[in-house]
Amino acid sequence: MRRHLRWIAPAVLLLAAGTCAEISWRAVRPAIPEIGRKELEPTLGQGVLLGVLGGLRTVIADLTWIRSYVLWERKDRPGCETLMRAACALDPHSRYFWENSAYAIGFDMAHWDIRRRGGYDKVPAETQRRLFHAYARKGIALLEDGMGHAKVTTPLLLTAAQLAELKLQDHPLAIAYYRRAAEAPDGPWFAARICAQVMWEAGRQEEAYRWFRDYWTERMRGREDGFPDDLQRLRTMEEALRITPGRRIERQAWER
Amino acid sequence: MNASFRRIDWIARITFLEAVRQRFFAFLLVLGVAMVLSSVSFRVFDFGHGELKFIADFGFGGMFFFGSVLAVVMTAQLFFSEIDNKTALTLLAKPLSRWEFLFGKFAGAWAMLGVFVFVLAGLLGLVLWSRETELLALAEQTGRIPATFSLSGLAWYALLQWLRLGVVIAVVLSISALARTFLFAVVVGSLAVVAGQLQWIAQDAVLKPTDSPLYEAFLWLTTRLLPNLQQFNLGDALVLGSAGVPAGATGEVVLSGLLYVAAYLALGAVVFRRREI
Repeated sequence: MRRHLRWIAPAVLLLAAGTCAEISWRAVRPAIPEIGRKELEPTLGQGVLLGVLGGLRTVIADLTWIRSYVLWERKDRPGCETLMRAACALDPHSRYFWENSAYAIGFDMAHWDIRRRGGYDKVPAETQRRLFHAYARKGIALLEDGMGHAKVTTPLLLTAAQLAELKLQDHPLAIAYYRRAAEAPDGPWFAARICAQVMWEAGRQEEAYRWFRDYWTERMRGREDGFPDDLQRLRTMEEALRITPGRRIERQAWER
Repeated sequence: MNASFRRIDWIARITFLEAVRQRFFAFLLVLGVAMVLSSVSFRVFDFGHGELKFIADFGFGGMFFFGSVLAVVMTAQLFFSEIDNKTALTLLAKPLSRWEFLFGKFAGAWAMLGVFVFVLAGLLGLVLWSRETELLALAEQTGRIPATFSLSGLAWYALLQWLRLGVVIAVVLSISALARTFLFAVVVGSLAVVAGQLQWIAQDAVLKPTDSPLYEAFLWLTTRLLPNLQQFNLGDALVLGSAGVPAGATGEVVLSGLLYVAAYLALGAVVFRRREI
């Protein structure tokens, strides 16, 4: 009996350690987003395992990205997509991987698929349209995933907007993304102009003018040279909408 | 009790000296140091990460990979050299109990890995600080937000890695107490490290509801027997602030690590008690 009693201390300690680890794991799990992502499963046998185990994740993400580029050159769609997604999963805080993976998936892969099916002459237009839409949606879904992890999200919003505008031809969606990008604290100057342009072309002229006018007044007028090209665009809008002189933006001292 | 501590301390000192004199330790330390120093030259191969993150990752990788190799191989080697050379027989013939011998071996090996981890962490801190200073000056010129790192976070991370390696040493010692050969201890010890790094899969699964009580019992047992080594990998969050670590969570990780060390050492002591030398 005494012989068996000796095993009680290690067993109790293991039980206590395991219970304590369960509590601590729940607390620290969100701080390690790289692990447990399904995108890594197909690549585990290709040298990614070390990155999953711990350490060197950034370096392995870089190597995975280089290998994905080799497959991108060969237009190997499944291999390229798998490795690009693995790079995103290994370093989810990096904007670069999300943005460029979405570009490759959303803009390139539909073309590869059409060529694989016999080329643009053989594949019916309807199938081509369906493929472009399917890959663009995949790209946008990847960007949405990336926005939850990357530190800088504005370039991801712009890429999503481009995919929605050019590939999906979904103007309301493109406007929503451009608008979010323009209104972000680090939003680039061109995002607002493109947003207004897409709104205008989608038939929402009044809304485009009002939004772009507010944006220019609040965020552009007082900065740098006052963004004269954007003001010029607003003047063109005022002309097209036949806005009375009293309701137009007041003339700026520097305006030609 | 004091006499016991003195004997453990005595074994630990001898083990530590024996360990740091070995070429294998020096070789892996030089490799780790070279890895941290070369990270600055390799940063041209970096895509879109923060530069500091890329440099830090080299250091984290060095501590994780070489530290794990050192913990498994050196611990088994230090243990089996005493058995194979029959010095263990001479030592245990003196008023020294087997658990004191085992605890002394643990303390000596852990101290050696402390040197390894804190030398690498110190060097990594120096490299990160020097690059951060350059990046701060560059950021001032370009008006960008500078990249920074946390020195206290690095100290915490080094402490967690040291504790993780302590758990590995305790696991390898309990395996060595049972094993007949050095090779067996190294192979099973390495597998235990890999299993420990992947233990979180069972830990995640155990939190999800399941219909099978057998499966649930298996997961529960797995999470209790294997240490969760992944919970110590908080480098990005602590050093680079990529994600927030809740207050007190690091303390919980430390506590679970210490409990694992105590549990595996106790297990090793029970197994070693009945072993023929």
